[in-house]
Amino acid sequence: MQAQPPIMQLQGVEKTFANGTKALRGVNLDIAPGRVHGLLGANGAGKSTLIKILSGAYAASKGDIVWRGTSVRWDSPKAANRMGVATVHQHIPLVPTLSILENIFLDDDGLWRGSAAMRKRFDGLCQRMGYWLNPDLAVSDLSIGQRQMVAIFQAFGTGADLIVLDEPTASLALDERELVYSAVKQLSKVEGKAVLFVSHFLDEVMALTDQVTVLRDGVVVMTAKTADLNESLIAEAIVGKHVAALEHAPRHHATPAAGGAVPRLTLKNLASPGRLHPMSLSVAPGEVVGLAGLLGSGRSEVLHAFYRADTSATGEVLLDGKSFGRSTGAAVAAGIGLVPEDRNRQGIIPDFEIWRNVTLPALDGITTSGGVLSQKLERARGWTAIRALAIKASSPDILVTDLSGGNAQKVTIARWFFSDVKLFLLDEPTAGIDVGAKADILRLVRQLADEGRSVIIVSSEFEELLAVCDRILVMRDGRCIAERSADETSEHDLLLLAGGHGGADAVPATPPHFIGGRNE
Amino acid sequence: MSAVKHQGIDLSQVPKPPSETVQPNWRKVLGLQEMGVYYALALLIATLAGVTAYIGQDNYLSIQNLSNVIYQTSLIGMMAVAMTVVLISGNFDLSVASVAAFSAVVLVGNAATLGFWPAAGMAMGAAMLLGLLNGAIVVFVGINAFIVTLGTMTAVRGLILLYTDGRSVSVTVPEVTDVMKAFEGGRHEGFWAILIAGFVMLAYGAYIGLRGATAGQRLRPAVVGYVGGGLVLLLLCWGSGGELPIRNPVLYMAIFTAAVWFTLSFTKIGRRVYAVGGNAEAARLSGINVTKYRLLAFVFCSMTAGFAGILFASRLRSMNPSGLQGAELTVIAAAILGGTSLFGGAGSVIKTLAGALLLYSLTNGFNILNLGANWQGLIEGCVVVAAAAIYTIGDKRSKSKTGG
Repeated sequence: MQAQPPIMQLQGVEKTFANGTKALRGVNLDIAPGRVHGLLGANGAGKSTLIKILSGAYAASKGDIVWRGTSVRWDSPKAANRMGVATVHQHIPLVPTLSILENIFLDDDGLWRGSAAMRKRFDGLCQRMGYWLNPDLAVSDLSIGQRQMVAIFQAFGTGADLIVLDEPTASLALDERELVYSAVKQLSKVEGKAVLFVSHFLDEVMALTDQVTVLRDGVVVMTAKTADLNESLIAEAIVGKHVAALEHAPRHHATPAAGGAVPRLTLKNLASPGRLHPMSLSVAPGEVVGLAGLLGSGRSEVLHAFYRADTSATGEVLLDGKSFGRSTGAAVAAGIGLVPEDRNRQGIIPDFEIWRNVTLPALDGITTSGGVLSQKLERARGWTAIRALAIKASSPDILVTDLSGGNAQKVTIARWFFSDVKLFLLDEPTAGIDVGAKADILRLVRQLADEGRSVIIVSSEFEELLAVCDRILVMRDGRCIAERSADETSEHDLLLLAGGHGGADAVPATPPHFIGGRNE
Repeated sequence: MSAVKHQGIDLSQVPKPPSETVQPNWRKVLGLQEMGVYYALALLIATLAGVTAYIGQDNYLSIQNLSNVIYQTSLIGMMAVAMTVVLISGNFDLSVASVAAFSAVVLVGNAATLGFWPAAGMAMGAAMLLGLLNGAIVVFVGINAFIVTLGTMTAVRGLILLYTDGRSVSVTVPEVTDVMKAFEGGRHEGFWAILIAGFVMLAYGAYIGLRGATAGQRLRPAVVGYVGGGLVLLLLCWGSGGELPIRNPVLYMAIFTAAVWFTLSFTKIGRRVYAVGGNAEAARLSGINVTKYRLLAFVFCSMTAGFAGILFASRLRSMNPSGLQGAELTVIAAAILGGTSLFGGAGSVIKTLAGALLLYSLTNGFNILNLGANWQGLIEGCVVVAAAAIYTIGDKRSKSKTGG
């Protein structure tokens, strides 16, 4: 393997945007065939820009792209594709109304839809990948994991020799990630393709890649063989300093209804037809409760049901012993704040600056005596949010769409800082964001709890839940199947509970400790 | 990355914001995307003034002619302002002109028996009911607003035909026509009011500009806006030679637009309308009653259409069942010229008004230059598409600049 010359070399690649932002400042990168090359970096480190240059979406401002020994310059994704570079983007761009077959051969030049030749090629692909899909299913009927596989098939189907995977597992549940891992292994080890694997998950980078490159502020700060590294070395390189792992510090655990006090939140037979089986729950003031579960297990549905975003939900909901009206407005007024799972679709208002996004749910405190909104006060709140959560933005006037994922997420959290929110609902608050921002957010959760506020966190990363929660509920198939104190359970335990058995339909059985391996 | 991030919601430890100077991005503020409609309007007026002067016709910039253009704009202008609100809230209303015509027919049909004011109230009520119907179907049934209002546009026009039996209706009762004349045709001498308004804007602009300058801030766009607006008004007064007649519909339009502009820009209601259009799901999860805002936007739009219909009927004192047909397209064109996004979340009523003025200046220019009405549609259509092209290309460019 060592003798293999790199198939793709970047030499001193720089990218400067028209507004003066330098995203890349001289990046060198060698990608060899038959290897999986991990690319890591914090949000805003330049990963996305690098990928866009590789895939032809951007042109480099300076430097050389050497592809199979010759310097190339491609001006469009199509050109890059034709030369043998395929990119699977993070937000899977498939046509939901077309079948799997048609999506995989979307840019095929043939005349007929679903021709026999196409089917034959599809069968060949399945054979080589060792994974079978029904070619006639519409993509809209697939789970996110299956869609990701379709996207990988699409890239593979172009006959590309370098496949770029941009955070392919970011929105996947554990068992679905396993699918992607085996596909990546198949591509590199059996098919001899070069794979550039971009990820935030250190454990999967350790387990999957042969070589790791870490970007920070537009330069390569580390290139090494994965075998010579460990997770903490990579994390250090990403953030540029030693990050103490989130200590499972002994802290005062709030207990539900301790001393007969009124619970912060009481759910009695909360249910939603087709989504959520009746469940009851009581959360104490200052308690942090985790909801563990795979995608589609009903985790978010619980939050939406008692936040009154799900209008068909039934059951009794009490906050500090009082019930409130059946609308999100009433829930907010009562003192609940939700940070939704999908920040682009449910969280941010794209046309708004940071300050207008931050002030949205609590407009009452920022009016002049006449009831007119004061821009001065609003921008001051924007500044406070930037300072309090270390949001990387030069002023609150920056559009929230110009922020990186982790920083946009912080904006959606900061929204709830300016009214007396007693119960925070955080739905996958750390999905797709870098290590540094993740630690910031988890620290914040503790801070909130120490102030006597209650927090309910939904997360696919059980390690995170174990680090910050007092109590963890495990969800599966729309019901709460177990409750564990965080002190008395382990990641392995939670994985077994959440993964369960019999729920895995089209998915090959997976050893659940693959991911949990990081905990030893 | 200091101790700041440990503070969480207890914000007392968060450092105070820097005594910042807002850095206006002048290239953006003065760019085609932001100011294009004003440039286009200024260019058109300058061209028309130049051409009329060159071929020796009456001065285009005469007060008589300008106030005529504004008067002609007033009805469509008001409806376009209301349409902008619906568009900002993320919806669409094709039925405005039909609703306005229905309101006009109700007024004319009942004014003789009920008297003007009760009949006008009835017309407004009918219009608002139609708006409620539009909104309820869109919001509660979940059908696309384009389809719903395409249907109600046609159906309401049919209702008008049924109501009038296809004939023109008119009022001849003198008591009623007198009120109508007073309501629609009243004139006010606006010289002093406009002079004072011009001075106030100029003074306010100079005040905040000087205050900013002493605080070491850079020039802000708002300063330029106030000073520029004030200068335009003063220029108008200077050119008028002391007489500036303002007709009632123009006055209504000015008050109405100012009120809507204020509400959208400075109140919680306005902020929420933008939020609902920008991302309805995010707005809902922030506790905003999205249903209410969407519904009320429709009611507001139809209410405005109803008012415009009353003015229209009062102007003619009769109503043809096909009156105002096709006006909805002019209304929407004005909003598009003003840069309102058809996807919701963005738009400005002042720019919409400028867009409406632009369209009527074009029409007026064609009349004055005797170019014949045959060219008018072609030119207007091209102007709308060109405007949309500028906005779209500008939007893409500003996004790609900050991309990555």
